[in-house]
Amino acid sequence: MSRGSGAGYDRHITIFSPEGRLFQVEYAFKAVKSASITSIGVRGKDAVCVVTQKKVPDKLLDQTSVTHLFPITQYLGLVATGLTADARSLVQQARNEAAEFRFRYGYEMPVDVLARWIADKSQVYTQHAYMRPLGVIAMVLGIDEEKGPQLYKCDPAGHFYGHKATSAGLKEQEAINFLEKKMKNDPAFSYDETVRTAISALQSVLQEDFKATEIEVGVLRSDDRVFQALSTEEIDEHLTAISERD
Amino acid sequence: MGDSQYSFSLTTFSPSGKLVQIEHALTAVGSGQTSLGIKAANGVVIATEKKLPSILVDETSVQKIQSLTPNIGVVYSGMGPDFRVLVRKSRKQAEQYHRLYKEPIPVTQLVRETATVMQEFTQSGGVRPFGVSLLVAGFDDKGPQLYQVDPSGSYFSWKASAMGKNVSNAKTFLEKRYTDDMELDDAVHTAILTLKEGFEGQISSKNIEIGIIGADKKFRVLTPGEIDDYLAEVE
Repeated sequence: MSRGSGAGYDRHITIFSPEGRLFQVEYAFKAVKSASITSIGVRGKDAVCVVTQKKVPDKLLDQTSVTHLFPITQYLGLVATGLTADARSLVQQARNEAAEFRFRYGYEMPVDVLARWIADKSQVYTQHAYMRPLGVIAMVLGIDEEKGPQLYKCDPAGHFYGHKATSAGLKEQEAINFLEKKMKNDPAFSYDETVRTAISALQSVLQEDFKATEIEVGVLRSDDRVFQALSTEEIDEHLTAISERD
Repeated sequence: MGDSQYSFSLTTFSPSGKLVQIEHALTAVGSGQTSLGIKAANGVVIATEKKLPSILVDETSVQKIQSLTPNIGVVYSGMGPDFRVLVRKSRKQAEQYHRLYKEPIPVTQLVRETATVMQEFTQSGGVRPFGVSLLVAGFDDKGPQLYQVDPSGSYFSWKASAMGKNVSNAKTFLEKRYTDDMELDDAVHTAILTLKEGFEGQISSKNIEIGIIGADKKFRVLTPGEIDDYLAEVE
């Protein structure tokens, strides 16, 4: 009986390999990259912003239905990079959880609590054989009452960290290198600088200039607190400002 | 635990009588960041490296050392997400004990119950063992105690122990430096020196975490300021 003792099953379900690795979790990370989308999140002094690519593969598709940017509540946003179906499932559960939290405890679910909930759920999939890990990296954003703008990233392994800036998807590492240089001295970006850093990071890493319809931008500002997806006109303004600056 | 389709254990005996999934779990622990614990005459200290994947990560959002009760703390080496699950289960068990007996749970009992959970995941259907080893530090009526719990669910009481990447060097260092009559302050210095032994890069208050519990029976994590003071004393 060789079930589960490393006779090849360590690649099919989340059990340990001889080197102590979980191959299914590592493959889930590869699945995130296979979506060919890159997303970037940046946290400023009083705003947090995420940018993601919007690839519409077929002209017949309804563009408005293609999105990776999801409001979880009025005050919490989530950008899901990876397999779209897994993303929708995760968003649906997150929305349910946030609504129940509000009902049960009488106040809005904080960002880090939502991030922890997503990460704990992901951990269960890495330990129980009956469900595979989700092929999604979720970046959660919100304004915390005490800590200000927050950006959390949750991955298929069940890790979650708060970030000053981060990236997920195909060009994740290149984007992180770019952002590390920009954020090295702990700059306190204003709202405009936050958005433009995020967009220019994406442009630099993908080495192309975007049209406003090719990216999605979501923002949360300390004075406003409501999660908003920017309209095409607003995105255009930022793109113009960036090209004039360079 | 044990889900319908997988009502058979994934951890099974090999022909030589070994439980290979547990061995692989221990390998996962051995490639985790170094952590250690030292029991002094009047308290316990636990410490760990805190190396984050990028400078973009907000280090204040991460706390590797956690408290299970006001007088028991825990640190791990291995997989962070698995650790969170164990912390949550242990806290619940401690609280259930308190509700039933109206007194804080003794350290040995909490360790035993946590270890039982870890053992269950090596035998139940459809689950894999936890990829963490825990160092539990507590102070109760029996005095200061330090326990190490492994993915198999076995636990032992230690005077000083280490886990993770640099375990053999760290243990050798601790064996030389440990004395039975150490004070808590000396133990903290020894802990820092032990971490420094195998540390890649410059040690600072931003890339290590230290938790202590003294005769006041209150477990707490040191602030970066306090760690800086100890680091200066060690220089």
